[in-house]
Amino acid sequence: MATKIDRRNFLKVLGLGGAGAALAGCDMPSYATLEEGEEQVFSYLAPEEYMVPGIGVWYASTCLQCAAGCGVHGRVREGHALKLEGNPDTAVNKGKLCQMGQAALQTHYNPDRITSPRIGDKNVTWPEALAYIKEKGRGAPAWLTGSIGGHQAVLLDTHLRASGGGTHYAVETINAQAWQAACADTLGDAQPNLHVDKASSILSFGADFLGTWISPVKFMADYGAFRGDQRGVLTVVEPAMTLSGANADHWVAARPGSEAAVALGVANVLASEYGVSISTLPNGAADAIAAMSAGRVAELSGVDAKTLSKIAGTLMSNHPSLVVGDGSYETAAAAMMLNLMLGNVGATITPGAELIPADLGVRSGSTKALADFATDAGAGRIGTVFITGTNPAFTAPGGLKIKDALNNVGLKVALSMFEDETTALCDVVLPLASSLEDWGTHVPATGADRGEIHVQQPLMEKLYPDVLGLGDILLGLSQDAGADGLADFEDYYGYLRTAVSAMIGTELEPAWQAVLQAGKVQAPAQDRAFTANGALSFNVAETKAPAPGQLHLITTARQGLFDGRHANLPWLQEAPDQISKAVWDSWAEIHPATAAGLGLKDGDYITIGSDSGLITTRVFTYKGVHPDAIAVPMGRGHTDYGRFATGIGVNPLSLLDGTQDGRTGEFTNTATVRVQATGDNRHLVRLMDTDRQYGRKLAATITADQHRRNQANKQGSA
Amino acid sequence: MPSLLGNIFKGWADYSKGVEEGGHHDYEHMFAMVIDLDRCTGCNACSTACYAENNLATVGEDKFGARQAMHWMRIERYFDEPDMDPDKDKVEPANETDTQSRGASFLPMMCQHCNAAPCEPVCPVGATYHTVDGLNAQVYNRCIGSRYCANNCPFRVRYFNFYENAESWPAPMDQQLNPDISVRTKGVMEKCSMCIQRTRAGRDAAKREGRDLKDGDIQTACQQTCPTSAILFGDLLDENSVVSKVWKRQQVKLGTYKQDKENSELRGYRIFEELNVDTKVLYLERVREV
Repeated sequence: MATKIDRRNFLKVLGLGGAGAALAGCDMPSYATLEEGEEQVFSYLAPEEYMVPGIGVWYASTCLQCAAGCGVHGRVREGHALKLEGNPDTAVNKGKLCQMGQAALQTHYNPDRITSPRIGDKNVTWPEALAYIKEKGRGAPAWLTGSIGGHQAVLLDTHLRASGGGTHYAVETINAQAWQAACADTLGDAQPNLHVDKASSILSFGADFLGTWISPVKFMADYGAFRGDQRGVLTVVEPAMTLSGANADHWVAARPGSEAAVALGVANVLASEYGVSISTLPNGAADAIAAMSAGRVAELSGVDAKTLSKIAGTLMSNHPSLVVGDGSYETAAAAMMLNLMLGNVGATITPGAELIPADLGVRSGSTKALADFATDAGAGRIGTVFITGTNPAFTAPGGLKIKDALNNVGLKVALSMFEDETTALCDVVLPLASSLEDWGTHVPATGADRGEIHVQQPLMEKLYPDVLGLGDILLGLSQDAGADGLADFEDYYGYLRTAVSAMIGTELEPAWQAVLQAGKVQAPAQDRAFTANGALSFNVAETKAPAPGQLHLITTARQGLFDGRHANLPWLQEAPDQISKAVWDSWAEIHPATAAGLGLKDGDYITIGSDSGLITTRVFTYKGVHPDAIAVPMGRGHTDYGRFATGIGVNPLSLLDGTQDGRTGEFTNTATVRVQATGDNRHLVRLMDTDRQYGRKLAATITADQHRRNQANKQGSA
Repeated sequence: MPSLLGNIFKGWADYSKGVEEGGHHDYEHMFAMVIDLDRCTGCNACSTACYAENNLATVGEDKFGARQAMHWMRIERYFDEPDMDPDKDKVEPANETDTQSRGASFLPMMCQHCNAAPCEPVCPVGATYHTVDGLNAQVYNRCIGSRYCANNCPFRVRYFNFYENAESWPAPMDQQLNPDISVRTKGVMEKCSMCIQRTRAGRDAAKREGRDLKDGDIQTACQQTCPTSAILFGDLLDENSVVSKVWKRQQVKLGTYKQDKENSELRGYRIFEELNVDTKVLYLERVREV
């Protein structure tokens, strides 16, 4: 070959000097087609600057599929994002990614994306849409979003301030508000760091830390270490099996709503049988623990004294432990009492850090915010609302009558990638860029090194010319509202670059490129400190067996379709549910004995009715659900969410009545329901129709004792 | 140019060596896996990563129900534990009123890349064969769709394109397709290739740089994304690779249908070893506190 400039060297030049090209690495084509080498002849007349045919380039960015904020590397070839991997340089996900993160590609390339602004049913231009919003907007606009942090949140606050001081409602159906409130009350820190990897035993009361809780990939990465040579013991107490429960050494079924009673009962055993001191606990806790005798626990939860002793014994013999709980404030607070008693605070629970520019911090979404919004909207206090990153018309409890509340708002503007149940109610819909097309900064929910913020950069050109990033829209609205100091910025990229440059103290190009290449930036931050705790009150629910003909419904969350936002991704619809292994439809989990009592068998259609709604779905029997309970995973049941989700399955959230937790204001996820067979039956499509191995050595097991003997011989570890 | 006679002798020598050594082949590499079931949470990340990496079609409920899904890597889930249950030989558990007392057992199942693969000799057109990397490969454009291979696979990890699955990728979803490998068409069998596009790229990169392949140069898509690092991948011919060390430590040898372990409590095992297909995926047993 005459020239010595090969593609690899060309790319090196681009990586260091090319505008906008931040190369995290590249891979080479792997075809042995030319006689002299491994590479391919390619005719490419007008390549983009950073585009080299046949060569994949990796860009760092941030995953926005849930609020955890994992760092990603995206593979880009011929200008197209093709694959996402975890960013190995982040402390949060350490190069790993969950199925929702993998499927972000299908969110981006989804055929049902909105490509043009619309007013009512009519597609319009951006200036027309913005003029309409300006003309019809009444009063100070409010924002209804999901969890949001970083510079988008700063701009959102700026817009609210500049436009008259409206309210920001951050809504997340799957959240950890109860846990955070309990942490705030007992430790003075709502978001402490949890060290799954440092625990010798973990006890969870309904907190699905491997599936959907706070930062599942972070916890799963640490769980890998937890299951390492010094193998920890996992115990899970919950009414229906979650992904965490499905990995438990001991799984205990508790009646829905009785998890707090079990946790206090374990504390009682620790105090009475093992002499663990409860005198240092906050006022109110000691009384609640003393009142929770084994007999009382059994009455409330159906968990017997032997099981309580076993749980307590496991905690005592495997130090340090970590106890987590969520679902209700009492459950989380009782879990935290166990942590205090067992000396886990300071060992597996350490203070979190907070950003010094506090306005960058995450506004953690809650369901209380949705209740507040419904109240305010219903009372006519909201003239204009901007909605993005949340789908309240789908996720709100049926009893909340969210549609009535929304219809009471003068002007509803949705910023969305997809038409959904909420955009259908909105007056104006603005097309949003995907997470792979947009700029941003995101504060991880937990687990980042102190002060580390993840940076999001576009992996490719926008698929549609008329979509705009959330940051760009926020900047434009803020400028329009006359916010100070923003007039000079042409776009959100300019704003973000200036803001990040200020953070790192230099505006030089190489420093900016280094930030993009790393996918993260260091913000000033300080460690919090735990503070002494005050009084707590425990209002342990009076849970009892349901009346004949009734069952306790639990709406469960799964990594996958999540709260319904990922139901339009075929990869996730077709990924068999981790527990039931069902695909492309909903199901109701019932204990075999309960089903037999009701005359139900697998595949029978049943109606599940409450005062708030009625759904019809199929029965799936298994023993991972409490006999008093019926569990229906959320995520499906969309009526308007594109070709892959609409009309598939049912939405159990429609059965909830919108009762709020006394301390946190969160919606409860349980309801009392009536169950009736319709008489129809159709086979539920699952990956496999058996739960048993029939004695074959497929997924084999050894006991922990055998494992420990191996460890002692230093032969058994992987 | 080797002579025809030379080829025949070489072929005969290879064949007899294979017979004598229990399926031995003259490999340049022997890519293999280790999957630690104690770390596997059954979360599906590997499987979805495989869809993204390998252009797997989604088929919808009806075809899935007809066992026509294309999941090269599937996560099986069991609730019984034959090794721990006293009534393991019974078909149904003894007490129906119990609730589950332990979690589930998850099993990532994909092509085991058997050294003595039962799918290979039955292919009438030689579309499935062993590569010099020790992988069981499928030549899509040679496949005529007889499905003998799937019929002969004890693991049921070969997936047949009963339909043209183009509707899986309505525009612009087709823009996500990995250009390093093909999109399979109707009438063709497909299966896990241990990310052959990645192994090729890794080998080529090493060759370009004039060095040997190092352990860790190549990651399969499932291994790379696995949140708990339950999946290891590497070259069994490289004595220093992590997988080699684990196989050795677990006292699991190739080329046998019955392992003779000094320590029978070691966790490493191969599924359906007794069939003598010589799989190259070593599973480590799940550990359970009693």
